Amino acid sequence: MSAPNPASTGLFINGQRETGQDVRIGNVTAAISVANIVKSSLGPVGLDKMLVDDIGDVLITNDGATILKSLEVEHPAARVLVDLANLQDQEVGDGTTSVVIIASELLRRGNDLVKNGIHPTTIISGYRSALKAAVAYIKKEMVVNVSELNDDHLIQAAKTSMSSKIIGKESDFFAKLAVDAVKSVKMNATAADVAGYEAMGQSSASNDSKARFKYPLSAIHILKAHGKSSLESHLIDGGFAINAMRAAQGMPTFVESPSAGEPVKIAMLDMNLQRHRMGMGVQVIVKDPAEIENIKKREMDITKERIRRIIDAGARVVLTTKGVDDLCMKYFVEAGIICARRCNREDLKRLAKATGGRVVTTMADMEGNEAFDAECLGSCDSVREVRIGDGEMLYVYGCKGHGASTIVLRGANEYMLDEMDRALHDSLCVVKRMLESNTLVPGGGAAEAALSVYLDDYAHTIESREQLVIQEYADALLVIPKTLAVNAAKDASELVAKLRSVHAKGQHSSDEADAELKFMGLDLIEGTIRNNLDAGVVEPAISKIKSLRFATEAAITILRIDDRITLNDSKGLAR
Amino acid sequence: MTVPRGEILQERSKGRDVRISNIVAAKALASCIRTSLGPRGMDKLLQLPSGEVLISNDGATILSKMNVLHPAAKMLVECSQSQDIEAGDGTTSVVVLAGALLDACTGLLSKGIHPAMIASSFYRAAEACCELLTGAAMPVDMKDRSSLIHAVQTCLSSKVVSQNSDLLAPIAVDSVLKILGEDPSGATNVDLRDVRMVEQLGGTVDDTELVDGLVFDKGSTKTAGGPSQIDNAKIALIQFCLSAPKTDMDNNVVVSDYAAMDRILREERKYILNMCKKIKKTGANVVLIQKSILRDAYNELSLHFLAKMGILVVTDIERTDVEFVCRTLGCTPAPHVDSLTPEKLGSAAHVGDVVLPGSGHKVVKFVGVANSGCTSTVLLRGSNDLVLAEANRSVHDAQCVVRSLVKQRYLIAGGGAAETEASLRLRELALETTGMDSHCFKAYADALEVIPYTLAENAGLKPIEIVTELRKAHAEGTVGAGINVKKGRITDMYDENVIQPLLVTTSAIKLATETVCMILKVDDLVVVM
Repeated sequence: MSAPNPASTGLFINGQRETGQDVRIGNVTAAISVANIVKSSLGPVGLDKMLVDDIGDVLITNDGATILKSLEVEHPAARVLVDLANLQDQEVGDGTTSVVIIASELLRRGNDLVKNGIHPTTIISGYRSALKAAVAYIKKEMVVNVSELNDDHLIQAAKTSMSSKIIGKESDFFAKLAVDAVKSVKMNATAADVAGYEAMGQSSASNDSKARFKYPLSAIHILKAHGKSSLESHLIDGGFAINAMRAAQGMPTFVESPSAGEPVKIAMLDMNLQRHRMGMGVQVIVKDPAEIENIKKREMDITKERIRRIIDAGARVVLTTKGVDDLCMKYFVEAGIICARRCNREDLKRLAKATGGRVVTTMADMEGNEAFDAECLGSCDSVREVRIGDGEMLYVYGCKGHGASTIVLRGANEYMLDEMDRALHDSLCVVKRMLESNTLVPGGGAAEAALSVYLDDYAHTIESREQLVIQEYADALLVIPKTLAVNAAKDASELVAKLRSVHAKGQHSSDEADAELKFMGLDLIEGTIRNNLDAGVVEPAISKIKSLRFATEAAITILRIDDRITLNDSKGLAR
Repeated sequence: MTVPRGEILQERSKGRDVRISNIVAAKALASCIRTSLGPRGMDKLLQLPSGEVLISNDGATILSKMNVLHPAAKMLVECSQSQDIEAGDGTTSVVVLAGALLDACTGLLSKGIHPAMIASSFYRAAEACCELLTGAAMPVDMKDRSSLIHAVQTCLSSKVVSQNSDLLAPIAVDSVLKILGEDPSGATNVDLRDVRMVEQLGGTVDDTELVDGLVFDKGSTKTAGGPSQIDNAKIALIQFCLSAPKTDMDNNVVVSDYAAMDRILREERKYILNMCKKIKKTGANVVLIQKSILRDAYNELSLHFLAKMGILVVTDIERTDVEFVCRTLGCTPAPHVDSLTPEKLGSAAHVGDVVLPGSGHKVVKFVGVANSGCTSTVLLRGSNDLVLAEANRSVHDAQCVVRSLVKQRYLIAGGGAAETEASLRLRELALETTGMDSHCFKAYADALEVIPYTLAENAGLKPIEIVTELRKAHAEGTVGAGINVKKGRITDMYDENVIQPLLVTTSAIKLATETVCMILKVDDLVVVM
């Protein structure tokens, strides 16, 4: 009673229907072709893609999520993979390419199993139990607990993540930059975060003391400026750079504390300092021409009084998200104040956090009068306007509030800067995960090879048809070391065979000396096998576990589909 | 005989052909969704004209989106819809059952039995089935939480979120029981609108929780730097606008000298300040502001004042949510600032922003509501939109299962056990009756076996072997024998805790029979252009 040929069932719907094996093959093919696009960009020797869109914008990247996002994939099954890459990007930040490759390999092998007469539901449950066993194995055997996480570990992890990216050649430099940046924004978790962790039951005993800290990556401001070499990128520690320039030439370019111990005060406004306009529904009607002048003057004076109050509160630097009238400039110039207009609102919020101030939206006080609260002012050591590349930027040094820092990226061209930004973002995520979870696993295909060997053995203990499925899952994981080797132009079959044999030896022997073998991974430059833990090729354990989970879930979602109905536009129905 | 052109107004086809064509169309629909029945059922991928993609295995959802054209097939779609409304679960089985009954009809029709006779016999057969099943069912007490959870788990086992059923089943049960209040034994129906489902992208389905209190799907408004955590909250829900009054279109405020400008500015500040002070005076420290289209419901000035007063502000409460919020928090909405009195305030032990791990989104959570009304809130999480939407549908189905149990407090074995039992007893009944009924009862009994047959087929088992084995077990008196999909053999479903509400089964049988009888009785299809 299996579904007969869809054409003959005469299902009266306005659209097409595909069933059974046809739809599965269609979905799997689409997923594999998506994975093939990103395949060649995996690993330290992976290559980049150049994407040109219909208006001619060019994007050069090696980041899986970015490539897939710009592809505008239409096939629904392929879109599941694109979503998967995005999810990995959001939750982990790194490993977007590998997650797509694993998912497509699982699909390909799943489809072959179906062709050999194994029911999809068996495959699904087999994949699930394989995943469970794999995650348990990573947690038990592969994870290296770092009791005291030192900078070396962090730098190694950051280097591993950026090794495949454009900045891989200068990874020493950028890894340190990333680690320093993340550490500089360490802050105590707010009540809201703690409530969130507790609600989700995540405050386990191991990270109880650490859970109180968080590293909000949003506090790291990345600025891109054309020109100079990428090695001249730098981190402004405890400082902040804003992409804005002085509003008038008469203003000073440098403001520092007048005397020791007295900080420079910064006012951050989210309001207009332009000539005051009356609201809608207010009409100005005058009979006497002299009144016009008075009203005009009053309009100016309202703003002038506001500026006066801000200056009197002690502000030496005034930044606003909105406009400042040219007429009002002179008050700032006279007082020797740096004023910048049209600043980015998000930047100002970050600056407010960094300097311990608040963004002021309105100047009303509790009596219904106008006043400027000096408490809203942020404080820092000095503010300087610096010329970088073509434009000017305001550098705020020595912020007195919570951590914040700015990375100024330099590079030869725009595409390079964008790609550096993406690469750095991935590394920042990795460092953040390391700091939060305190565990790491060896990279370079070591974890996948170990899992593959382990799952192969595990499969032999299972008597049902799931055995076949788990074996396929084990083989599917090998796609990562294989692709890594292929991309590095090494003999993939031989290298992977070597890797597997080493891991098998390590897992089966009870000898203490062989315990280290489980950390063996690929050395893609030399084309040999080495202990990747010692070589410093490491990743956060959490990202490995999550990517396995996501990849399996996505593969299952697609395998569960046995029917595809595409509906036509209902306009065709009206005829 | 030739009919002159112009005399035919309508195109018509007759009798037997119409019936057969209707039956074929309806059967095609049933065979389309039968693969998604049961715990090992597969999913359908629907690509809507808008380009939106839907992955589901909920029968009602698939059918309603499928845009079926044939009138007879449409009847099946509606039949599944009414099962959704009546029982909430079993929307796939009702269509599969109807398909099988129609299949039985073709056989009977070809023997030359009059359709009306078949219809009336089927009615009697359905009634007999329901009676038999009610006799075999197990009464349940609404206080017996574990039985309820088992019933819900059976329902969830066929969904995408089945591996999370350990978590979702208690959530679904508790959320409905909370609505029922202290004494669930007296209730006869449940309004599931009293359960609020808040979807938040990010995390996994495992992070879903039942919130003791209320959750809004966004964080508090903090542009002016107000507080985000309040203990011992006094909550005011206001429907008036905290912004400067606007003049009507035709009227204008006329300013004729500069002093007036200052006055306007000052008055505006005073006006808003006064409102804020009045709110503060009632003792409120949390303000919920209803969305307003006519005017700004709030402006920077009012947020600034409220922040200074240490009041937490949540804006953009939907008009439709107001009633729910009021009942949950025990507050009364205030349409004007003067009508806001301390008695109208609701209270909660704690109100605060919670950052959701995984996505970093913020939601406002109200916990420790003193004497909350009979409402509950479920905060759903999921890693992507498709999963989230499917999880929402699944939890809704699960809640419907509990609702069915409130309506009719009997449980019956799942896994095809109920249908096999009914089929077997009906066959015995057929032997005791004579005439047309006997013939039709037998066909009806055969059709009922489509459920265990499909379950076995979808699970990758051998259907003939399993169904005959199942029949044997029932003949030997094991009322609870059903297909254990996980183990791939026949076991007692009561031992495995695979149970479902009686209402789901009986309503599926009744609805399927009625739809089939209706299709049978049609002998003419007139297409009016």
